[in-house]
Amino acid sequence: MKPSLAVRIGSLALRNPVLVASGIIGYGREYERLVDLSRIGGIVTKTVTLRPRAGNPPPRVHETASGMLNSIGIENPGLEGFLEIKVPILRELPCSVIVSVEGEDVGEFCELVQGVDASGAAHAIEVNISCPNVGPHGLRYSTDAGMAREVMRAIRPLTPLPLIAKLTPNVTRIAEIAEACEECGADAVSLVNTFVGMAVDSRTRKPVLGTVLGGLSGPAIKPLALAKTWEVAQAVDIPVIGMGGIARASDAVEFLLLGSTAVQVGTALFADPGLAESCVDGIEAYVRGMGATSVEALIGALEVPEGRGVIRAGCRPAREGSGS
Amino acid sequence: MNLVECTVLSNRELSKGNFLLSLKVPRAFARPVPGQFVHLRVSGQEEPLLRRPYSLEGFVDRAGIRAVRIYFSVVGRGSRFLAANPKGQVLDLIGPLGVGFSPRPRRLPILVAGGRGVAPLLFLSRRLRERNRPFVFLYGARSRAELYGVREIRGGRLHLATDDGSVGFEGSVLELLGREWGHGRHTPLSAEIFTCGPHGLLHEVAEFARRHGIRCEASLEGPMACAVGACRGCPVPLLSNGGNGRYPAMCVEGPVMDATIVDWARLP
Repeated sequence: MKPSLAVRIGSLALRNPVLVASGIIGYGREYERLVDLSRIGGIVTKTVTLRPRAGNPPPRVHETASGMLNSIGIENPGLEGFLEIKVPILRELPCSVIVSVEGEDVGEFCELVQGVDASGAAHAIEVNISCPNVGPHGLRYSTDAGMAREVMRAIRPLTPLPLIAKLTPNVTRIAEIAEACEECGADAVSLVNTFVGMAVDSRTRKPVLGTVLGGLSGPAIKPLALAKTWEVAQAVDIPVIGMGGIARASDAVEFLLLGSTAVQVGTALFADPGLAESCVDGIEAYVRGMGATSVEALIGALEVPEGRGVIRAGCRPAREGSGS
Repeated sequence: MNLVECTVLSNRELSKGNFLLSLKVPRAFARPVPGQFVHLRVSGQEEPLLRRPYSLEGFVDRAGIRAVRIYFSVVGRGSRFLAANPKGQVLDLIGPLGVGFSPRPRRLPILVAGGRGVAPLLFLSRRLRERNRPFVFLYGARSRAELYGVREIRGGRLHLATDDGSVGFEGSVLELLGREWGHGRHTPLSAEIFTCGPHGLLHEVAEFARRHGIRCEASLEGPMACAVGACRGCPVPLLSNGGNGRYPAMCVEGPVMDATIVDWARLP
């Protein structure tokens, strides 16, 4: 019997747990000849901001050891352009559509969520409070539990769509931010966004990226991403969507084992456009190999020796009033 | 555009560090326009992580076999991997991609090549010859040893320049362009420029074209991640946007672009 791969993220039912991460395949159309969207769970769109953004000066991408630095800077047509140009495309896609949004302040987040909700093109909204490439604001919202709380509280009443808070790994205690989002009505958290990184050209004595700093992704970050995802999966009860360096089906299985309900593939899809589909096949084969009938059997099935791998109490502040 | 498997037919080092790679592609690979590129997985292994964009040096469709040719220099990690592929190695590529050269009818194409930038212009010169169109080919390199494909340039008027004077004019291909134009037989209505090479050279050719009001298309080069317009990782700065406004993506609005609108000073 074919095992069921269906999972739920709040009220969103996904046909399988494999999504393509934000910023990878634009709004779907760019990759239509290379990725069979009807076979995967869904896509997360390129992040939409309230006003159009031209993005950062070149160079914006640089390959590192098993990784990639980027400083794209959320080049996008803005909410109005998104509604006019991208929504008609998204409505036709044969998979779930999660629209990623990012505001410069709470008011912008509210306008974006209302606009995307009304567009009818989104099955869920990913709240990008974690991009390292748009100045201090984006990152501040997810490096500070208080500010993450403020955003989530403000947007929660504005839509019945599942809200997924996308977290940055560039913090000391990521679980604290995840818990804040959960308390304020997030239906799920997704992590990790890129790690802040830098490349230097010793020949020219200049930084490689036009913006000096960028975000690191790709297989190089997988162990770091697994650790952050593990930490968050221990801390919250809402679904966790894991990502960071997935380059083959077994990587996706690893994220599911440690408690992710779904995964997102990113950078490695540039090299292997069939990656998302092969992850679906690999997860199905793994579930069958377990003798299970549903992918649910795989989620959180990591066998951890008693008392190991937990964040020790002394290292972690109390949940409330920790004054961080 | 498609993702297709390809097989190395030959991969030869023609001069120190400069290779000609021939890849067999299936029928599903569409006939490319000179100036278009392929996004190539440069090794059968998992490293390096990203594909590399390469302009085509040629396209062969003979006796049922389709092949693309790439002329490349070993300049970094990706090209080092690419050079190591033996005959028979299976790779894959996405292509043909991007916008190629678009010669206008009844204008004399003046091709200006610098170094390994000769590759897409050789491809263009063969297409022009197939159509019995005359052209002028100005080709500069560091030395005689680094010239490639000179004997294949047929059907047009060829002028060479080398930095060391080992063959042809001693100096820059830009000076050749100045002399060609200086004869006074061309006008902006009768001729146009197609150029590829180091961005420093392209900048100078673009300035020359702007000064004389000549239509000029240049083939750009740069790192790309997706190569299909999705990731926005290969922005081209334009003179008009002065740091603001829209950046065209080199992969879908290029790599061949109107050289006179590119802000070369801000393009790495």
